[in-house]
Amino acid sequence: MIKAEKIKSIEELRKIGDAVRNENLKIGNEIADIILVCAGGGCIASGSLMVKAAIQKELEEHGIQDKVLLVETGCLGPCSRGPVIVTAKDKIFYQGVSPDDAKDIVEKHLIKGEILEHLCWKDEATDKPIPVITDIDFFRRQVKIVLRNCGEINPLSIEEYIGKDGYLALAKVVTEHSPEYVINEMKKSGLRGRGGAGFPTWLKWSFAQNSKSDVKYMLCNADEGDPGAYMDRSILEGDPHSVIEGMAIGAYAIGASQGYVYVRAEYPLAVERLQIAIDRARECGILGKNIFGSNFSFDIEIRMGSGAFVCGEETALIHSIEGKRGEPRPRPPFPAEKGLWDKPSVLNNVETYANVPVILLKGGDWFAQFGTEKSKGTKVFALAGAINNSGLVEVPIGTPLGELIYDIGNGIPNDKKFKAAQIGGPSGGCVPKQHLNVPLDYESLNELGAIMGSGGLIVMDEDTCMVDVAKFFLEFVQDESCGKCVPCRVGTKRMLEILERITEKKGQEGDIELLIELGEQIRDTSLCGLGQTAPNPVLSTIRHFRHEYESHILKRHCEAGVCRGLVRAPCQSACPAGVDIPGFVSLIGERRYAEALRLHRERNPFAAVCARVCFHTCEDKCRRATLDAPVSIRALKRFMVDQEITIQLPEVRENEKNAKTKIAIIGAGPAGLSCAYFLARLGYRPHVFESELRPGGMLVQTIPAYRLPRETLAREIRMIENMGVDILTGKKLGIDFTLSDLIEDGYKAVFLAIGNEGSINLDIKGSDAKGVTTAMEFLRTYNLRGSVPVGKNVVIVGGGNAAFDAARSAIRLGAEKVSVIYRRSQDEMPAYVEEIDEALQEGITLMPLTNPEEILTENGKVVGMKCTPMKLGDFDRSGRRRPIKEDRTFVVECDQVILAVGQAIENPEIFEKIKLKMNNNENIIVDPVTQQTSIPWLFAGGDVAVVGNSDRTVIEAIAAGERAAVGIDTYITGEFNAFWREEKPNDTLFDPDADPAPYPRVKMPLLSVDRRRNNFNEVEQSYTEAEAIRQAKRCLRCDYGH
Amino acid sequence: MVTLSINNINVEVPEGTTVLEAAKKVGINIPTLCHFEGKKPLGACRVCLVEIEGGRALAASCSTPVAHGMKVFTNTKRARSARKTVVELLLSEHNGECKTCDRNNDCELQNLAYQMGIEDIRLKGEVAKPHIDKSTPALVRDNGKCIKCRRCVTVCNEVQAVGALFPQGRGFSSMISPAFMSDLETVACVQCGQCAAVCPVGAISERSHIDDVWKALDDPTKMVIVQTAPAIRAALGECFGYEPGTLVTGKMVTALKQLGFDKVFDTNFTADLTIIEEGTELLMRLKDKIVNGKKVALPQFTSCSPGWINFVEYFYPEYTENLSTCKSPQQMFGALAKTYYAEMLCKDIDEIVVVSVMPCTAKKFECQREEMNASGIQDVDYVLTTRELAKMIKQAGIDFTSLPDSKMDSPLGLSSGAADIFANTGGVMEAAIRTVYEIVTGRELPLENLHVEPLMGLDGVKTATLKIEGTQPDWSFLEGVELKVAVAHGLSNARKLFKSIENGEEYHFVEVMTCPGGCIGGGGQPRFTDDSVRQKRLAAIYAEDEGKELRKSHENPDIKRLYERYLGKPLGETSHHLLHTHYKKKEIFK
Repeated sequence: MIKAEKIKSIEELRKIGDAVRNENLKIGNEIADIILVCAGGGCIASGSLMVKAAIQKELEEHGIQDKVLLVETGCLGPCSRGPVIVTAKDKIFYQGVSPDDAKDIVEKHLIKGEILEHLCWKDEATDKPIPVITDIDFFRRQVKIVLRNCGEINPLSIEEYIGKDGYLALAKVVTEHSPEYVINEMKKSGLRGRGGAGFPTWLKWSFAQNSKSDVKYMLCNADEGDPGAYMDRSILEGDPHSVIEGMAIGAYAIGASQGYVYVRAEYPLAVERLQIAIDRARECGILGKNIFGSNFSFDIEIRMGSGAFVCGEETALIHSIEGKRGEPRPRPPFPAEKGLWDKPSVLNNVETYANVPVILLKGGDWFAQFGTEKSKGTKVFALAGAINNSGLVEVPIGTPLGELIYDIGNGIPNDKKFKAAQIGGPSGGCVPKQHLNVPLDYESLNELGAIMGSGGLIVMDEDTCMVDVAKFFLEFVQDESCGKCVPCRVGTKRMLEILERITEKKGQEGDIELLIELGEQIRDTSLCGLGQTAPNPVLSTIRHFRHEYESHILKRHCEAGVCRGLVRAPCQSACPAGVDIPGFVSLIGERRYAEALRLHRERNPFAAVCARVCFHTCEDKCRRATLDAPVSIRALKRFMVDQEITIQLPEVRENEKNAKTKIAIIGAGPAGLSCAYFLARLGYRPHVFESELRPGGMLVQTIPAYRLPRETLAREIRMIENMGVDILTGKKLGIDFTLSDLIEDGYKAVFLAIGNEGSINLDIKGSDAKGVTTAMEFLRTYNLRGSVPVGKNVVIVGGGNAAFDAARSAIRLGAEKVSVIYRRSQDEMPAYVEEIDEALQEGITLMPLTNPEEILTENGKVVGMKCTPMKLGDFDRSGRRRPIKEDRTFVVECDQVILAVGQAIENPEIFEKIKLKMNNNENIIVDPVTQQTSIPWLFAGGDVAVVGNSDRTVIEAIAAGERAAVGIDTYITGEFNAFWREEKPNDTLFDPDADPAPYPRVKMPLLSVDRRRNNFNEVEQSYTEAEAIRQAKRCLRCDYGH
Repeated sequence: MVTLSINNINVEVPEGTTVLEAAKKVGINIPTLCHFEGKKPLGACRVCLVEIEGGRALAASCSTPVAHGMKVFTNTKRARSARKTVVELLLSEHNGECKTCDRNNDCELQNLAYQMGIEDIRLKGEVAKPHIDKSTPALVRDNGKCIKCRRCVTVCNEVQAVGALFPQGRGFSSMISPAFMSDLETVACVQCGQCAAVCPVGAISERSHIDDVWKALDDPTKMVIVQTAPAIRAALGECFGYEPGTLVTGKMVTALKQLGFDKVFDTNFTADLTIIEEGTELLMRLKDKIVNGKKVALPQFTSCSPGWINFVEYFYPEYTENLSTCKSPQQMFGALAKTYYAEMLCKDIDEIVVVSVMPCTAKKFECQREEMNASGIQDVDYVLTTRELAKMIKQAGIDFTSLPDSKMDSPLGLSSGAADIFANTGGVMEAAIRTVYEIVTGRELPLENLHVEPLMGLDGVKTATLKIEGTQPDWSFLEGVELKVAVAHGLSNARKLFKSIENGEEYHFVEVMTCPGGCIGGGGQPRFTDDSVRQKRLAAIYAEDEGKELRKSHENPDIKRLYERYLGKPLGETSHHLLHTHYKKKEIFK
């Protein structure tokens, strides 16, 4: 091996570089292979050094230790997959390597030349191994300038660095160029500070160059403190010489002869490797006097900080180097004028310096080809949080966020939805899914209220509560505030206290406004960057997720199911109706079925209906999923309702006064009937007006009987009638009566739950042809009249539940071929997975990524659908990839087209002269807590008045009905009487010390396809009792101890 | 010169001026809490925020230098509401009840809240944890009331160079305290009380002796006598609305009598006595060196200022020999009151209570030093600061401004102008020179108005040289000697002086006063003291001196009588016992 000693000139440096490269070539010929073992902090933590030792031992056992070189390198990037190794010859990448794999690596890979597929990266879609590192998307899509040597060389070897043209830029600069040349190249490169603020590096250098002083300092900020960011650490650990070279070049430019690297003591490996690098550089004459024979002298020392976040602020860092308390001071004077010991100083961060040698070697213009107009080069991001490939990645500035998350980061684990990315750590802000296309550059991120910062990028999925996130970051800054200036010391504390009370069920109206006011004041008044940016996470989450704050404060509800003070159990919190799920599930586990059902109906009368048609958001939030799979809550509910022989009425509190108060409910769908149910429990006797002849709304009109048997629904409606509710069918608002009629008749309050009966039409050519219908019309006709015309070859347009209900009904009614065409991908179909699966079993063809262009007709009759195939493009506001048309079309032959693309209020004129406040979706605006409209006596709920961004589901409608009942009662009595909302402790047995029940989740049994394809018999079947009890025992009882 | 506009008023100021200073020039008062005259701006309190056209965030006027064409607005909605929020935040953190606070009606935070029209505290939350530190005899600190403006830190570290107080901890729980959040007693605090003098709120104050004094006054079996230090008379009036520098000697005596003190004496009397003893001591040291060739500690340091004594004992223990062995005038008085005066009255010393009124908090410490009981018991029982005396006068319902003048009692009440100037920096030195020169030459000091001009004023370190010629036979060894003296005030200046001594500068006599300006700027004086106030008090004291018939300590007939009847001669045995003391080296870390 070559060992570099005192290098006195650029020629000597070049010779060593050549010699190192020659030796590598020689190795290539004489030695079988080189194995690069990642010795970045992450891989060391997961055991890479043990892997290395095991491989070494195997090599020795096979007597080939001289033929195979084992090299420890810096971080390769995919930290969550460590330990990782790369073979130099074939560039094979192995991940998750354990010492036990050493034998295979040596015997099979090195000796026999086999590829160990089980250690290879797998393609997400096909599950096929991708052995070669350069074929893997994660690496292929990156551009490595800063991390050029990380993972490629031994960071402890200055020779290997020189072999990669290391120190050549410095040698050229100090022997051939002027300081002005350096600054000019830096200017051309457009490099901006990577520490966060993005100040042009050349400008900072030229300020310091122009400051008159005999002593100047070059400082390096390695006090990386953002939670989740570790690129600076990785650079120091993986390629320390690049930082030394960058600093030396800068020192030459400004005229400094001493440098300090300020690094936190929590980075012992970085400190160790940097110190070795400095020592070697000094031994080789690259640091010290008359570098490369020039007049330029420069040396570097390490100063360790004890890990105060504020010491990343330049003046605080300088104080800390001076031995003072790490606290910022007012600027001006800026460090370029008065810095360390009041001398002109330049402070840049590690990543900035690591760019410098390449810029000087290849030229500023070369560097400027990467990035955007205003931000050049690349940026290293640390991907963390809810992302499949967490780790370090380097991409050109301006790469869209979505690409980083999905193409390089490989998306969100566990099929969860992306919610937001926190960029820039505690000083940054979050970017929500609407902005996945945002180019990652300084200006664009600022516009969204986030910052580039150091490049920490924490991905958050739907299970993240944004109020909680804001609280976390504020706790961090409050702990890290130096306490010097009032806004940061006290202001952030007050903000934190407000957030704490919001998450503890004590939020008050006005809290959001107070947070904004305080946040803006703190931003405007704090002494340093820490305080000025401290409110960012709060302000940005309020900006993008205000409804979550409102929900915490007004509804006492944490959507994500995170905040302990608001969430008894995540499933219960996820249920719009707030059903005590751990309660009824555990009662089933104790065979106390009647009690279980009674508990369910405390909050939701439609137990049997929901056992069939509920979207079960509860299961999406079930914590059992973190062990194996969620508890089968809906299936258990089904078992529970099947045990009921005669319906039991819930607790009804008779009330003479209420009984006489007339209340009208318009629409006997789930919202209207639920409202009637809860009003009846308070002693009211409401009248329900239904336009159709059968009550049930969508439940009866559109949901097919094979999903919801008619008698099941009828039983629960009868239960409600038996509680004193009058359902008057065949009474249509606007035709048989008007709202004014009701008031004249003495009704004190009206609940409007008329649904969205109208369908949105697809505005394409041929949509008026014979044989074109809407799913609503198709289903309603069949369900209410008993028959509907069905084609032989049916095309359904849409991807929601209505589309599949229509498709599966069509199959049952004799269609020979049914195709569902949908413009996005199958993953994005809003229908629920069970229904899509069952439809596929029944022979329905799915045509995702297909856009309907034109309905082809002959003689006014449908004969086909002209379609365009689609591919996925960039991200739209819903966070999904936008489908874009390919430039070709094809035709699907058909004789019937059923459109299932959306619903709307059928006829807004029914409101006559009453001026209701509507939003632009033709949705009635209501108070989210009481469902009250802009007219005090009029309440609305269900599909006609969807609150916030909630789904149009049965369970949402039921919940809205309950809220309206409480709202109406409070409107009339001025009191809060909803006794059912009081939380009762569960008396079921639970042993918190016991291991979780070991049973896996079991699907509900289904009727076989040939027994269901031609009829409307119920498809889903119930568990056996033994199975139901096992399944119930799977519950982890998150409610315990709450 | 730089031209800028503040609230559309054009102003021209020198380069390097801050916006705060420039605003003052055009009559715009920007509030501030952390600003400290003459020191680097901290930018900590954010109360002085102003809007500067084109600026992204608001700017702290205390730390923003003026620039050409700068447009500053101090009263925009943005600036006003930001300042208001800052004060609201301070109030929300402040753990104090105005009604019962020592600083009620004399509190800068209270004033700001009033000025900003804060009527309720919207931002309620956790308040600073109270921790009351009563570990020292001189000072009481309450962390709960501290608003972390850091003036105390600045004064302790930069003005006094003592370094007892620092910011500690982080975030909301950060606090100002001695190292490791411990009590003052555990660190090298000299108890000068400058921290208490600059504290804008009630977080640091002197340890009150008011209740003890009332108790003594109410006790018919006690004879309570009071001595008043020279610096009181030039400052006490400020507590009653007088301009700084108004002399209120006569009213003060009347007030003290009305409070019920049996005798009102003057520390000035023992100041004259100090000059005799200390001057003689200096001459003896010089004689020992020049005539007897003995190794003596020179320069001789004055010893009147107890904070300075502490400072030497802690930080320069190798120099304790240089300190004059003379007790301070306060302690000389206490010793004489319980011996000479008690014998004169034939009183038992237990019946006599000696109270001092001092501009100083360290005097509370000094009177409790174990060396300070020449009479057999503690010589001085209680020490009131100027502020405490004003409070007692108010408590007694005395209308100070309408009081007639009275005279000090005899025999410990008569004093020379030389004693008055003990209050000023440079004053002890001047008084000593007046006497020493005359003893050695037999002639009056040949300077205008008897003042040693170079030793006057607020420069940090002042020096003077005096050539001695035409000596009396006893002192002929001093013929032709150039007497070199130096004066420092504020302990950071004392450090500078030490440095110059260590660098070989030779002085014969050095005066150090702990507090900036001397006793007139003491830690127990009315708040708020800045250089303009100090100047006025200095002038008042010099006027008092110049207005007296007696200008030299050795001419004080009561002093002469004291020696004749009781002490014998300067540095004699009785003197040695009653008027001199010794010092010890103290450990900085406990």
